[in-house]
Amino acid sequence: MNALTRRGLLASTAALAATPRLAHAAGHSGKVVYWHHFTSQEEFTGLKRVMEIFKQKFPDIALQQENIPNPEYMAKFTAAVVANTRPDVTMVAAERLPDMLAMNGLVDLTSRVNAWPNKVNYPDDRWKGSTANGKIYGVPAFTFVDWTYYRKDWFEQAGISGPPKNLEDFVTIAKKLTDPSKNRYGFGMRAGPGGAAYLIDLMEAFGSKFVVDGKNAMDKAKVLAAVKWYSELHTVHKVCPPSVTNDGFRQIMEGFKTGQTAMTWHHTGSLTEMVRFFKPGEFGTAAKPAGPAARVARLAYLFNGIMKADNIDAAWDWISFWGETDPSIAFLEETGYFPASSVIAKDARITGNPLYQAAAETLGFGTLPPAFVGMAGWSQNSVLPEFQKILVGQSTPEKATDAMLKGLDAALN
Amino acid sequence: MSRSLATRIAGISDTKAWPWLLLAPSLLLVFAVIIYPTISGIDLSFRQMRLNRMDLGIGYVGLRHYLALLDDPIFWISLQNTAVWVFGTVALELACGLVIAVALDYELPGMRVMSVIILLPWFLPLVVAGNIWALMLDSRLGVINAALQGLGVIEGFKAWFADPDWALPAAILVETWHGFPFFGLLLMAGLKGIPSELYEAAAVDGAGFWHRFIHIQLPGLRMIIVATVVLRAISLMNSPELLLILTGGGPGRSTQVLSLYAFQKAYREFNFGYAGALSVVMFLLLMTCSWLYVRYSNALRED
Repeated sequence: MNALTRRGLLASTAALAATPRLAHAAGHSGKVVYWHHFTSQEEFTGLKRVMEIFKQKFPDIALQQENIPNPEYMAKFTAAVVANTRPDVTMVAAERLPDMLAMNGLVDLTSRVNAWPNKVNYPDDRWKGSTANGKIYGVPAFTFVDWTYYRKDWFEQAGISGPPKNLEDFVTIAKKLTDPSKNRYGFGMRAGPGGAAYLIDLMEAFGSKFVVDGKNAMDKAKVLAAVKWYSELHTVHKVCPPSVTNDGFRQIMEGFKTGQTAMTWHHTGSLTEMVRFFKPGEFGTAAKPAGPAARVARLAYLFNGIMKADNIDAAWDWISFWGETDPSIAFLEETGYFPASSVIAKDARITGNPLYQAAAETLGFGTLPPAFVGMAGWSQNSVLPEFQKILVGQSTPEKATDAMLKGLDAALN
Repeated sequence: MSRSLATRIAGISDTKAWPWLLLAPSLLLVFAVIIYPTISGIDLSFRQMRLNRMDLGIGYVGLRHYLALLDDPIFWISLQNTAVWVFGTVALELACGLVIAVALDYELPGMRVMSVIILLPWFLPLVVAGNIWALMLDSRLGVINAALQGLGVIEGFKAWFADPDWALPAAILVETWHGFPFFGLLLMAGLKGIPSELYEAAAVDGAGFWHRFIHIQLPGLRMIIVATVVLRAISLMNSPELLLILTGGGPGRSTQVLSLYAFQKAYREFNFGYAGALSVVMFLLLMTCSWLYVRYSNALRED
């Protein structure tokens, strides 16, 4: 029989102390259905890796992921709530939270989040997008930081010193880099699916608010200035490709990658695709240019929330797992998506990459996207079509602004 | 026991209730899957029902949604686009389907294989077909643009879905490609049902292709044409998927149709009451148009 040593005693004590944690990790079981709207191959690969690591830690939880295309996400969500066929866990974009809550579609996670040891790794603003009326409804999984992609090689050839710092510079540079005879345009504007968000950002950059105390607080003159500036990029300065009104995410990416556009706005989520496509030095990233009233770039935290409490312990295991280092870094490696945790964001693989400097800069001034009940409907059914009408010559900035203001009134009343 | 049960059943079977008892399971099923959802949908159109504004309640609002429709310019644009979308697509699909069916009716070598190949677009899910065509018509990488430019039809690559004059026609062409096999298949089956004696008699009378088509094939297909047109029009009117993928209703409202508008109202604004009213209007329009079409096409006429 071995004698009990001091070292052995300490080791045994440490092992015993760890036992409840291990038992907790392995204790929950059952099936967890996870709805998400990942789109790209990189995202699927990243999710697969996260799920593999999860499986190692929680072998008794059968995780089933289900992909719902983003444009149909709220339709499926609504149907699931109405028909009570809810998945356990759903992905939650901050701008969708008010609508999801209004349908009573999410479970209050406040007590679990407050008791979660990793909560301290997230600054307060990280929780803003998943908090309503003082209650927390989701755990941040990763972050998208808005920024500008620009063709560094073209900038150098044209003698342009650097990416635009403000909107005036932006127009000047875009015009300089436009040459329709070569099918080359200064700016790949997204005025197709998903394009409303960029115009809404500009309205804020020109100084307008949206909703205050549940009322329409838009400043017509400032909104008009934003709509005018943005639409004139195409209608007056002709710096956007002719396909602009049909250009969604895929099209702006292809436009930039095929050498049709010199600059485009997106977020950190597409960095991996760019890095894989371009040679080093061909493109750069920059913080979005400042508007006359504010420099607006969004920090879009993607959350995971729980839709039903049937297997809530296992569901919590899954959503809180995204806050751990291994899955966050694995997901970053596959997708380029920033971890939401500020502790993990200090990882050398992020801080050592110069392409991420623009994101780090944006983290300093970036804000969450506006979120209010009716936001999704207003932006997609009013803002985008009215803006498109200007671009194709069916409307004017003045008429479109009136229609957008009216649309917001209708959404709120 | 079994004797008394049999006697009892025999007793009931002599009553007037017996046919209703036999029909009861089917009637229940019809009520559950057709009548109840329809009534429920109509009921919805008279209610407030905004899922993200439950503070407004779900009470009855009378004809408010229907009156709002009359003042809604997007409704009228959608109605106009729906007419173009449905009539244009059905007409093109019918024409293509008819040509294909008549061609495949000839017993030539390779026609069996051809008839399977021609059906392929119909087998493709609409989402896949939509995305394939979005890529083929893409203004940067699209092969159709490349081909048209190569043939000298267009000067540069054209953004078909970004042009308000071309977006709807381009979408109609894509839908036609996807849907014409539906007509082709059913019309081909109809042609196979025409007695060969009619063709033989026509040949004896010296009838050529055109006379054979006008006087034998077309009249023989009348019932099938009417049925397929009604079915396809219903399907097109009710499904916004392709336009959702290709244009999302844009640019502006150029490709906005009623089904897409109802979808957007329901699932982007969560205004199920208003979407319900739109659906009821579509339902009434379809019922009326189908009735008029069947009546004036003489499809039910006894020859």
